[in-house]
Amino acid sequence: MKNSMSRRQFILAAGAVAGSAVLAGCGGSASPSSGAADTGGSGASSSAKGSPDDAYTLVTDGTITCIAEMGFMPFEYLDGDTPKGFDIDLMAAVAEHMGLTSAWLPSQAFDTLVPTIKQGGKADVACSGITINDDRLESVDFSDPYMDSNQALVVKSDSTETEAALNDASKTVACQAGTTGDDWISENLPNAQKVSLQDVAAAMAGVQTGLYDAFVIDLPVASNLISQSYSDLKVAEEIPTGEQYGIAVSKDNPALTAAINKALADMRSDGTMDQLKQTWFGGMI
Amino acid sequence: MEQTGRPTSRMGRAALAGKGAAGMTAASDAASRAGRAALAALLALACVLAVSLAVPPTSALAMSTNKATARPNEDGGNGVIGGEDTRLTWEGTVGGSEEVTSITLTLPGDASFDGSTTRITVLDGLSRTSISGEATAAGASIRVSFDDPIPADSLVRLEITNMRFPTAGGDYQVTGAYTTSAGGTADLDAAPAISIIANTPLQAAVNWLDQQEWVAAWNSVPFLGMFLKPQLLLTSFASLFPGWLVCLGIVLACYPFAIVLGLSFAMLKVSRRKALRAVAICYINILRGTPLFLQIYIMFFGLPMVGINIDNNVLGVIVMAVNSSAYLAEIFRAGIQSIPQGQYEAAASLGMNGFQTMTSIILPQTVRRVIPTVTSDFITSYKDTSLLSSVGVMELMMFSKNLTTTTGNITPYMAAAIYYLIVTLPLIKIVGIIESNIARSERGGGPRPRRRAGDAASQGSSEPERAPASSAGIPRAEAAKGAPATGVLAALSAPFVTHPTVELGGVADGE
Repeated sequence: MKNSMSRRQFILAAGAVAGSAVLAGCGGSASPSSGAADTGGSGASSSAKGSPDDAYTLVTDGTITCIAEMGFMPFEYLDGDTPKGFDIDLMAAVAEHMGLTSAWLPSQAFDTLVPTIKQGGKADVACSGITINDDRLESVDFSDPYMDSNQALVVKSDSTETEAALNDASKTVACQAGTTGDDWISENLPNAQKVSLQDVAAAMAGVQTGLYDAFVIDLPVASNLISQSYSDLKVAEEIPTGEQYGIAVSKDNPALTAAINKALADMRSDGTMDQLKQTWFGGMI
Repeated sequence: MEQTGRPTSRMGRAALAGKGAAGMTAASDAASRAGRAALAALLALACVLAVSLAVPPTSALAMSTNKATARPNEDGGNGVIGGEDTRLTWEGTVGGSEEVTSITLTLPGDASFDGSTTRITVLDGLSRTSISGEATAAGASIRVSFDDPIPADSLVRLEITNMRFPTAGGDYQVTGAYTTSAGGTADLDAAPAISIIANTPLQAAVNWLDQQEWVAAWNSVPFLGMFLKPQLLLTSFASLFPGWLVCLGIVLACYPFAIVLGLSFAMLKVSRRKALRAVAICYINILRGTPLFLQIYIMFFGLPMVGINIDNNVLGVIVMAVNSSAYLAEIFRAGIQSIPQGQYEAAASLGMNGFQTMTSIILPQTVRRVIPTVTSDFITSYKDTSLLSSVGVMELMMFSKNLTTTTGNITPYMAAAIYYLIVTLPLIKIVGIIESNIARSERGGGPRPRRRAGDAASQGSSEPERAPASSAGIPRAEAAKGAPATGVLAALSAPFVTHPTVELGGVADGE
């Protein structure tokens, strides 16, 4: 009995100490954060020497460090370990117009891209077929849109599923975590069981095997994958969302967004953009 | 699930639509002439008739409403809470012979569009037409006027972010009107109702946190705000709970099977027959030699391909049990082989056969030796259930991943970490205690005839005693009555301390 009492007292005491430490932590939190902002500012001026007129910052001088989820053919995919795709070429061209080079970090999950850019320090931009929407705009800035897209409802070729039929508790609809398809399911198929997966291949394979009834993904990717490798799947419905892809840049780096926008505008006027779209999509878009 | 209470009959919906439309029109035309009001009422009546008769309501010459949906704003849930910021998506198609210059949307009650931002998407088929516009919010209605008229047959989508539905729950319909470039005004068909739920206590608590100054200060530190946001921590705990139960359920359901399977393969592996040993070695080595992640993929995508469809959770239990059984088989095998040869000889000298030796001499001693390792394996299995999220089992990681996705914040993962630690930390502690108990008994520090109860109990909880005679033995049972914590420990270590360890003298003679 005596033993347990003292133990209880110890826990209480420990809780009190921890609680006061937490409170002390919040009290002082304002000053360290402003300190951090200051050091960020000084870092900005030191690493901005690459371009004297624009005071944007880069993780590595002379290089735009990009991140993407490399399972989104034809926008980005890995050929061996070399990133390839429309977005890869796009960033290379953007970097070229800015007098820089582009580098890609290893593929990371789609839903971590925007938080990574928001946190900063690791990569300068995320360019991974990211739709510009208001939620993401709360965390990061976007460049001007560089491509229009829509969503697609992918089902087995012999399936008769429709959007209305899928809105049922017995149906499982897959999506890639954090995509607009994910959002679309939450809003338009509220009764269906939504499964958010990390990669597109798992979702496509899941629809193939019947594990999921349908998969919602960006239309260009769906069309590409179905024509390339998933011949037993089809696009049941083209969902006209008219969403637009943009390049995500940290809010702390508005000069970089401006510079990228300028590069995109230049690419539009000098024909680079049309050429890129022709290379990757041909007559598709 | 939250869609109960939505009017089921088309008639009911149409009636609602009529009422809403009439009210709206009357409000907007309050200042105009009575004749126009009557016309509007007629129009509304026509609308009601059209909706109730035509299924679906498609009139080629007028703008039609395709749908109106709201983004779920229940933290960690999928309900739409009234009075909280959310996003309304309204979609309609312009009629065949008109061009639309503005659209007004209206919601009943204390809904509010104030402070909202509107995103306009105009599509011709699948290709986007670039049309911008301006939205003017006025309480429960919003007027979006377009810089260029929207051409006929175009699809218009209005995404209105940071608007609020009425605070009281219920089914609400978006009504409204539109103007054409010809100057005409017409009412919009009412969209299917959107179910709104009233505020939940959890949401109220979150709102309270939102207003606290210390929370704001806490969140202003980027690290704390990103990893340990209090509001999100609270909602994460609530919404991750079902996932935690699934995790626990899977590992608790799989473990008995894993133990039985593991023990069987351990017996096969120590068997004298070569063929049996070969079977066990194949099973164990293949399963231990491949990642669990791969095994999960093979089972979840492979089995449906050959026509075997098992419920995801059940399949999860099976994969975890099979995987764990291979590790357990090795643990049991090592445990069995750690029993000194003398035990077999002693059993033989008592006239026991192989089966009797195994069940009454070897296995009982094995069990107590392997409990720490088995518990460690249990911890590993429990954590490994997280891999099942990759194939869509709705467990802890899946829930936290979804939540992180929707919030763009790492806090749900931290909540998941806490849920994992709630289980693993006590288990790790128990493993430590059991291990030290075994170590003590192995070096001959097992139970001895007690001296005095109080004396022994106090020494039992102090540092490991070198003097074997003072070690806690039977008195633990008495201590258990007084202190629940010591009681649990005593019960857990009972198999070790009550076993006479005389026969291990030979092993521990190094001491």
